[in-house]
Amino acid sequence: MKKLFYKLCVTLVIGPMCIYVSNIIYTKYFYKKDLELFDAKMLLQLDSLQYNSDVLYFAESSNGTAANSDTCLLSISQMMDTLSPLKINAIEHGAVHAKTFLHLIQNIKSDAKVKTIIVTLNSRSFGAPWINSKLETNISQANVLYENKWPIYKRIKLILNAYDNQSVQLRDLKLEKNWSNDFLNVSKEFPYKTVRQWDNAMANGTYLLPNGDWDLPKITLACHYIKTYAFSIDTLNNPRIKDFDEIVTVAKQKNLKLIFHLLAENVQYADSLVGKELHHIMQENKQLLMDRYSRKGAIVVNSFDLVNGKDFIDQDWTTEHYNQNGRWLLAKNVLKQIK
Amino acid sequence: MLFNSLHFLIFFPIVTLLYYLLEHKYRWILLFVASTYFYSAFYLPYIFILYFIIIIDYVCGILIENSKNKAKLFWLLLSIISNIGLLAYFKYYNFFVDVFVAYLPNIKHLDILLPIGLSFHTFQSLSYTIEVYKGNQKAEKHIGYFANYVLFFPQMVAGPIERYDSLGKELRSNHVFKFENISNGLKLILYGLFVKMCIADNLAPLVNEFYSNPTQFYSSSAWLALVAFSIQIYADFYGYSTIAIGAARLLGINLMDNFKQPYFATSFYQFWQRWHISLTTWFRNYVFFPMGGSYVNDFRWVINVLLVFSLSGFWHGANYTFILWGFLHGLFYLIEKVFSKFIPISIGKNKIFLAIGIFSTFILVTFIWVFFRAENLDKAILVLKQCFTYSSNATKELIFSYQTIVMLVVLIFIEVLIYKSRFDTFLQNQKISVRWAIYILLAFCLLLFSGIQSYQFIYFQF
Repeated sequence: MKKLFYKLCVTLVIGPMCIYVSNIIYTKYFYKKDLELFDAKMLLQLDSLQYNSDVLYFAESSNGTAANSDTCLLSISQMMDTLSPLKINAIEHGAVHAKTFLHLIQNIKSDAKVKTIIVTLNSRSFGAPWINSKLETNISQANVLYENKWPIYKRIKLILNAYDNQSVQLRDLKLEKNWSNDFLNVSKEFPYKTVRQWDNAMANGTYLLPNGDWDLPKITLACHYIKTYAFSIDTLNNPRIKDFDEIVTVAKQKNLKLIFHLLAENVQYADSLVGKELHHIMQENKQLLMDRYSRKGAIVVNSFDLVNGKDFIDQDWTTEHYNQNGRWLLAKNVLKQIK
Repeated sequence: MLFNSLHFLIFFPIVTLLYYLLEHKYRWILLFVASTYFYSAFYLPYIFILYFIIIIDYVCGILIENSKNKAKLFWLLLSIISNIGLLAYFKYYNFFVDVFVAYLPNIKHLDILLPIGLSFHTFQSLSYTIEVYKGNQKAEKHIGYFANYVLFFPQMVAGPIERYDSLGKELRSNHVFKFENISNGLKLILYGLFVKMCIADNLAPLVNEFYSNPTQFYSSSAWLALVAFSIQIYADFYGYSTIAIGAARLLGINLMDNFKQPYFATSFYQFWQRWHISLTTWFRNYVFFPMGGSYVNDFRWVINVLLVFSLSGFWHGANYTFILWGFLHGLFYLIEKVFSKFIPISIGKNKIFLAIGIFSTFILVTFIWVFFRAENLDKAILVLKQCFTYSSNATKELIFSYQTIVMLVVLIFIEVLIYKSRFDTFLQNQKISVRWAIYILLAFCLLLFSGIQSYQFIYFQF
């Protein structure tokens, strides 16, 4: 016992020393390489932009994706910047979600110039396909690097798999479970109570398109709309709700003006392809998010129904990618809230 | 739960502490709960497969002991069919559907997750009922101890595949707290983590990159990739086994060694005495010997050897590539046996001859690993072709980072040092300064040079 106690004391001295020295070496020689490896470069963007921006726009690919036919290639944030006297910059990366933004906002220093932050509120990111996405492991790894902690601490977390590291098969299994078991917020008369029932009915022609068509490509797209948007947000357990709630808390702590930009979805196509039930579900989710975050003290800019179906770049998929008309509309809509 | 996870880093000290605080008679409950929790962390519903194995083999063990002749055989067959049936359903069903698709066109693939380590715990549990049947082992009456034999968390998902006469005894013994066990256990865990995280996980991305598109790479890189996989698979499995042995040691429980520097083997015969020893002895005792072992005519012996090696390949995975991998090992084993008859014993002890033996065995084993790693036979042939032909599509070199090279040097250095012992016993005989220098070196390697991307232990899939 005495021997063990002695060894424990030596370890308690040498262990932290090793970690301290490792942190110095790691930060100096390897940290940037790891940020690149995990595509976590937004942290480097933030380091410089927080000191020369009045407003930071935290976004995924919705901000900068442009259509091939666009003559104006400005992103939403750049459009806002041209229209506003304030310096507006974007911290953006494709296929990320609120958890990433949360970590980045935690990294904003108290002496930073930035006083207003805009965070995209993507209603689709609350759905099961995104929560159980195959990309989640990579996003979670990058999120560890975005944490406001010692670099060596983050490395230790990564090497010890201390992040959401579930296998793709397990994620697929959970997704299927959500689709098969989660009841939808639909009227009593509507025969399909889960995504799986609805999707099967649509795919097998039991449930025809609203115009009575049996158009296969359209049915495939309609099925995709059902799987993407047919969900009811469970405010107690949805991980995205927790992330956005924490963003509100952190923004308050850091005394930052917080604006959530509720992104436009292709409501028009959802309505025409699938019908009023899906439209109703989407509107319910929209209302829930707007009410929840307005109540919590954030400004919620509602762009949900603002963009016409034809102004979405991807006509055969569900994304929040807009052509220049759509982007200008959104930029102007958000700008109304920035004084 | 992975050994190299924060989850395990919290779980294991708590279990160890409670283990030594509890009275011996209650420890089986702790180990049962801890093992259930450990396995459930992968995927909860599959723990019931293990419970099923436990109940079947526990009951069969008692019934075998209490029966005679045909009834005895019946209970053994029930145990074998139940265990192999589970394996066949979860692991081999889709393979057989592919094989018989022409005759049974309406049968569809199963879309299920393969339970982690199923081949390990079914084989471990089967060895118990077989030994009870042979009369070498008394049936265990305490279901708790038997459950822990199948479930014991340090080795449940990737071995070593223990036998009841050793692990059962260890689980029943009252292990008092000993500093030596804690110290040696921690040393083995540290070294196992180094081997897995600093070697296997640094080589994994290189090997994956090569195997994803081998034709892109120059033939020199193909050779390098083959050697890299040889080291990766060794480091991955050896690392896991070392951590498993270390973790059990912390609880005072000794597990068998699963590796003895296999790449220093001078022949295929030696290689299989040093690689995955617990599986080799399993197949030897429960498949090869019952087939007649070496006490049959030459033709039967050749067939038996090839069959056992091919079966051991099939045990690894439901794919022709694994069968061929095992078959090739059997073939080279036989060729070696034939040639060894013509080599005088004095030459066999010559150092140059031994070095040639080590080198040639390593090269051949490395080539055969291609069938283990490639997803299908076409890919395996493509990889082998890439080693020997000039490809006009080749544009890439496989580049080892200097960290990886340094880690490999450290591994080889330590493996040479511990050639005749084990890491823990080797360190015991060193001065305190040397010991601490090695601890600090390994700690720095782990902190700074371990592979940062997560790669699951390769053998978990088996």
